[in-house]
Amino acid sequence: MKRDTFFAFASPSVAIMLLLMVVPLAIAIWLGFHYMTFRNIAAPEFVGLRNYSDVLSDPRFWRSFNFTALYTAIVVPSWVVIGFIIALFLDQVSGFVRGVYMSIFLLPFITVPIIATIMFKQLWEPSGLLTWLYQQLTSTRFRMNETSVKTLIVFFGIWYVTPFTIVVYFAGLQTLPQEMIEAASIDGAGRLQKIRHIVIPYVSSLTVFILLFSIMDSYRVFDSVYVLSGLNPQFKADTVMTYTFATAVQVQRLGKANAMAILTVIGIMLVLIPFLRLMYKEQIAER
Amino acid sequence: MDRITSRAGRRFVHFVLLSFTVYSLVPFIWTGMQSFKTVKDAFSRTPLLLFEPTLQNYQDVWIRRVPENAEAIGLGILLAVMVLVGLLLTARSLPINDRLVYGFCLAGFGLLLWAIPQLIYMQKFYDYFINTLIVTAFTITISISIGCLAGYSLARYAGLAAVVILIAALAFRALPRLAFVLPYYWIGSLLNLLDTGLLVVVSLVAVNQPFTIWMLRSFFMEVPKDLEESAMVDGANRLQSFLRVIVPVAWPGIISTALFTLLLAYNEFLLVRVLTQSNWTLPVAISRYTGNESADEITLAAAASVSATLPIIVVILYFQKHLVKGLSAGAVKG
Repeated sequence: MKRDTFFAFASPSVAIMLLLMVVPLAIAIWLGFHYMTFRNIAAPEFVGLRNYSDVLSDPRFWRSFNFTALYTAIVVPSWVVIGFIIALFLDQVSGFVRGVYMSIFLLPFITVPIIATIMFKQLWEPSGLLTWLYQQLTSTRFRMNETSVKTLIVFFGIWYVTPFTIVVYFAGLQTLPQEMIEAASIDGAGRLQKIRHIVIPYVSSLTVFILLFSIMDSYRVFDSVYVLSGLNPQFKADTVMTYTFATAVQVQRLGKANAMAILTVIGIMLVLIPFLRLMYKEQIAER
Repeated sequence: MDRITSRAGRRFVHFVLLSFTVYSLVPFIWTGMQSFKTVKDAFSRTPLLLFEPTLQNYQDVWIRRVPENAEAIGLGILLAVMVLVGLLLTARSLPINDRLVYGFCLAGFGLLLWAIPQLIYMQKFYDYFINTLIVTAFTITISISIGCLAGYSLARYAGLAAVVILIAALAFRALPRLAFVLPYYWIGSLLNLLDTGLLVVVSLVAVNQPFTIWMLRSFFMEVPKDLEESAMVDGANRLQSFLRVIVPVAWPGIISTALFTLLLAYNEFLLVRVLTQSNWTLPVAISRYTGNESADEITLAAAASVSATLPIIVVILYFQKHLVKGLSAGAVKG
């Protein structure tokens, strides 16, 4: 394809991304240096780095950062492990049965996140099924407090995204060469040994892919926290995203919120740059 | 992997899969039950598994005032829906051109959605539902049209610019939504575009574009190059050969991508929540039911949740193969 044709074809998409991603990012940087509430939107007041020093000295910001890190650290390994195990089991059935299981397992993942969280929360309402079960089993009253809200957020995260890893690993298992397994069987390898020495190395590139996208998505968690904590500060269950949102919409410190978003962008880019370089080299080599 | 053959082993496999089924379904089943309960039953101290079902919650979510000839209207709507769905399902085997039938069904559904509020006094929830359909439809159309052009050219052009665009798109895919949405809010309020569908659609197209072009590119890479080359030898230009030869071949992949765009637009909460005050889509509308814990809100939230989820489940079950293909396509190729 010629250079001119390429630019002609790609221009609508590239124009939209320049206009609505690059320009807004520049605006966010600019707004981060200004004091702005909903009242002086047309004429923000320049305050230099004050928003940034406000954010960095804000204990609530660091608390939300810690909870986001904790969330990511628990949820991402759970997705990988549970998804891989269930994919192995799903690989053991076939035909119609497999299709039915697959449809059901996918259900959480295709439900609107906000709605899935509301459904999940219904189980834990004062009259909910799991509230009742919890109280029967522990004979203590279940109530929403810091620990229970944080636990529910983590549980919901695991429940909601595992279908994605199941499907990815399952697709990977379908391409596993049978000869490798047969050769191992002839050598007398047990099932667990085969999984450990053949299957896990075989799907390792998928694991890298899942880890990358999981980390990218889990630090951005917003919808489920919004519903389960109701942005109520008493639960201390803010993530970086919900705290940024609360700073913008509830406290109306738009400049500070922009500074927070920019700090998040810098943080994620630092993590991402080695990977982006790797992708860049791969793409250059491929063409 | 080789199959487990022992009887106990097979039982164990099914035990695990069934347990996971229950785990996946519990919230749906419980919410479904709550949505059919009276407020009194829903608040029972011990959870009621057997109860007398009521449609009152669904009525309260959708309908403001029940018209006098409710049965006749309801029957008419049901009949119209059944005819349209029947046509859709049998379109392939009818002796008429498929596209004509699909177009007719689309027009029919549009007319029906327009006619319902003329006949029945509906709740705001119905407006939010229509909003969601409009926003989703426009987002898919624009996103996929420009995404196909870009995805195809990125799959075929070997220059450095293509690589740079791809890597930049990947970086943007990783960034937090709020870094874009807060500036959108600022631009929107300066241009007086807040609370309009236009701003929501354009923003949705933009934030999902990186994902869309990556996915479409991976599907266009699968299409052999000789295909458009032979078309171009026959005198078609790039655009013609793309539209007439490449798009039909890549169509399943385009459907997969459209399905993901559908989910992304239908699911979007944060962006719509920030950019609109009253012109909501369903996720934002439904989140309003969970604000405080007054008595009937639990059952209303349940009924609203089920109402908003059913259409998506129907669409996804119909296109499930495409969804799974899309999920694994991104994965297997990295």
